Amino acid sequence: MTISLAIDTSTSRTIVGLLDGEKVLFESFAIGATDHGRAVSDLVSQALLNNPAPERVVVGMGPGPFTGLRVGIAFARTFALACEIPVIGICSLDAIDTGKSDYTVAIDARRKEIYWARYVGGERVEGPSVNKPDEIKDFIIDLYPNVSSLVKLADVQNESEPFYLRRPDAVPTAERK
Amino acid sequence: MSEPLVLGIETSCDETAIGIVRGRTLLANEIASSVEEHARFGGVVPEIASRAHLEAILPSIERAVKDAKISLKDLDAIAVTAGPGLVGALLVGTASASGLAQGLGIPLYGVNHLAAHVSVDYLTHDLPTDPTIALLVSGGHSSLLKVDDITGSITKLGATMDDAAGEAFDKIARILDLGFPGGPAIDREARNGSPTAIDFPRGLTMKSDWETRPYDFSFSGLKTAVARYIEQTPTNVRADVAASFQEAVVDVLLLKALAACKSTGIDSLVIAGGVAANSRLREVATERCAKAGIQLRIPSPALCTDNGAMVAALGSLMVSAGRPATQGAFDADSSLQVERVSL
Repeated sequence: MTISLAIDTSTSRTIVGLLDGEKVLFESFAIGATDHGRAVSDLVSQALLNNPAPERVVVGMGPGPFTGLRVGIAFARTFALACEIPVIGICSLDAIDTGKSDYTVAIDARRKEIYWARYVGGERVEGPSVNKPDEIKDFIIDLYPNVSSLVKLADVQNESEPFYLRRPDAVPTAERK
Repeated sequence: MSEPLVLGIETSCDETAIGIVRGRTLLANEIASSVEEHARFGGVVPEIASRAHLEAILPSIERAVKDAKISLKDLDAIAVTAGPGLVGALLVGTASASGLAQGLGIPLYGVNHLAAHVSVDYLTHDLPTDPTIALLVSGGHSSLLKVDDITGSITKLGATMDDAAGEAFDKIARILDLGFPGGPAIDREARNGSPTAIDFPRGLTMKSDWETRPYDFSFSGLKTAVARYIEQTPTNVRADVAASFQEAVVDVLLLKALAACKSTGIDSLVIAGGVAANSRLREVATERCAKAGIQLRIPSPALCTDNGAMVAALGSLMVSAGRPATQGAFDADSSLQVERVSL
């Protein structure tokens, strides 16, 4: 079976797992919205200890707060480059296991908004998007992506770019005058 | 170990830069800049810079490895700018460096951007560089340093109290409608003007300043003086304003740098950072150092602005000096002090 290293930094958690096929060899997370840099490197060291070498990297591409999100993606890409293995990007919201098949799932997007997506029969039918919470009905929040779902999705999905969903805040000089 | 092969990553501002050195020999220096994306905002927008870093970093590493005609597996160590800089931008670099180092199973050095600027001189000049006075001038920093050992012992003698020298160039270029970045634009415009046309103020050069803060800089008064001059002089000649402003900056930078050499008895000066690419600064520095008997070293213009070679150079010097690699995981430090050469 394929050995997968799974990484997700789209939420306030840094989530790392090592799986042999669907079998979880290592799974852990660290809490801290500004600690992804330190945490991803720590957790991956732990994951690799006394375990077989990964044959692919599966990484959450967001949506999620940008700075932390980029840490996981940057690490995943260079680690994969160094090991000469593929890296596969997953929509992080797809990897949140709600235990249901028809649902809307959301994570905190800060600025009083949420990142969300809607699923029917387990398939994403709307999103990922960013909205005010009162514009979206009946969403599940406070769950996190999990490593088993990330790895399972890697067989059917490969997102190459992060889901930013917002433009950078900046005002051109001409408009400022 | 024979000459260490080190890859350096620099992402503290708007350049995604990868350098590869073997010992003191530069093998590759790959730079992808997002400067054009920032131009219409009149300055670097952190989120735009960070996005550009993530897009550019992997292709840049691949190009650098190809240019250097090496394989990643040949590398002895990775070095990365850990600070100071824009935190979101730095983090793309440090995370990429960790991924590479862990994937390759080699040591990682988190190094100081400012020390790296000075250390790039080791790639261009064979002479022993320590101890030396270093004048570090860029868009984000202006400081005078005493470097006893580039891999571990740097003392800050002084720094700017307000704007960095490069920032002053950007702001004056905006006032003069010369565009962004301001440094090269003013340098070009000034070639057609007279540096003595207007006597702009030299910040912190009063007698009392020399007694209390001899090595600090201030450029905000100069900026105000230029703005006021333009307002009050409808017939102003843009090239003269540019040349006279540039002369005021160059003059004060060198007055203080040479004073630092004199008072410490160190007859060596390194000028580094983006502003060191300024042609007038290079010209006047050459004249004044020759007159004062000071050995002057300025890296080639391409190595003055932010680059990866300088980070690789510092990493390589640290490996050769037997300095320990950064232990365990570390965070980027946006306000890393220059005295901390590495983490």
